[in-house]
Amino acid sequence: MAEPRVDYFYSFRSPYSYLSGPRGFALADNFQIDLRFRGVIPMMMRGESVPTAKRLHTMRDVKREADRLGMPFGRIHDPLGEGATRTLAVSEYAIDVGRVREFVLTAAQAIWAEATDPATDEGLRLICEKAGLEWEGCHAALSDPAIADRVEANTLELTQIGHWGVPVFVFEGEQFWGQDRIDDLALLLDDAGLSRH
Amino acid sequence: MSQLRDRAEREIGPRLIVAASTVTAPARAAAGARRLAGRSGRVELYFGFDEPTSAFAVIDLAQRLHGRKVIFDLLPVVERGIEDDPALERKRVYRIADGRRLGRRIGLTLSRSEPIDPQQTAFLAAWVAAAPRGAALTRFCVAACRRLWFESDGPLDEGRYEELWRECFGSAPVADGAAVRANEQQMTSRGPYETPSAWIGGRWFFAHDRSAQIADWLDELGWTVK
Repeated sequence: MAEPRVDYFYSFRSPYSYLSGPRGFALADNFQIDLRFRGVIPMMMRGESVPTAKRLHTMRDVKREADRLGMPFGRIHDPLGEGATRTLAVSEYAIDVGRVREFVLTAAQAIWAEATDPATDEGLRLICEKAGLEWEGCHAALSDPAIADRVEANTLELTQIGHWGVPVFVFEGEQFWGQDRIDDLALLLDDAGLSRH
Repeated sequence: MSQLRDRAEREIGPRLIVAASTVTAPARAAAGARRLAGRSGRVELYFGFDEPTSAFAVIDLAQRLHGRKVIFDLLPVVERGIEDDPALERKRVYRIADGRRLGRRIGLTLSRSEPIDPQQTAFLAAWVAAAPRGAALTRFCVAACRRLWFESDGPLDEGRYEELWRECFGSAPVADGAAVRANEQQMTSRGPYETPSAWIGGRWFFAHDRSAQIADWLDELGWTVK
């Protein structure tokens, strides 16, 4: 029987997505679920604005949360634009070759804690190889229209389910918005008898 | 020039914001000075009676602040949020599902399945904004939030909340809409754009999401549980 599906909507430009990564992917270790990574185009590239007060608060809040979670944060390179687009394209390729978890965790840390610029071939290649992906395949994905369509479809679906931000997890139609709601999702999965332990 | 600007926006600016946020000495010194002068710490909570996430924050924070020498300053607002937020209605609906989960964390079951229009609870905000700070006000806000979101459904009966007010204060409530507007302006000047948000020693937190951070920050400021 197929395992119940959990969709994981994620943006490389969202530091809260970065914080969610290790615990988000670990859900598949702890529960009998089919965790589907769904990379989406950043809000600001979808024509939505982010007020200054929100931008400032996000940086400060994420730093405090990162410290609490024991995750590095602060040596940032904002990937808005090409960096986000290229990283999304490679994440789809990484799904196809079974290394999406490794790529997403590596890329997000590179962006939010190591100031790596994925808009350059040098930066992106470093990330890809660190995640165990061969560069030729990653490079080909950057110009593959089918891959770009998949990213567009993910982004459209996030809008269609009525959500506005990331990270978002969706299990049986119920949405869990935020890296601070992963424990609540885990409780629900546990209630559903899906625990592996 | 544009390369330099690009680097400033993508790297230098965000790094400076993060680095500045780790400076705690001035806040700790100010808190120490307050203690030396025999004064209490202060937790300002900006909240709306119309949302379950705020109800959770009021109930949860009232419990967590117990035993700390801090004043719990309950500051209700009605108008707030990001200007022209396209997700405003979706957020109000989502808060119902979120409120259900938050309630579960403190052993409460959400009794409502629909959002409340902010204007329907504006009378409560006007009463609370006009009242003196202290234990009676905290008692009323906690009881009103429980009743609103965890013990009732359907239309609000103002008379029942007036009874509750009399139980807590021994007198009738006085409404002050201007005091609510003042809370809204103060909240904006502090930085928060949505509720529930807590302002403590120069930092603000989303109060329903950051209970652990709030406790850590109070400890760091020296407002520990005695």
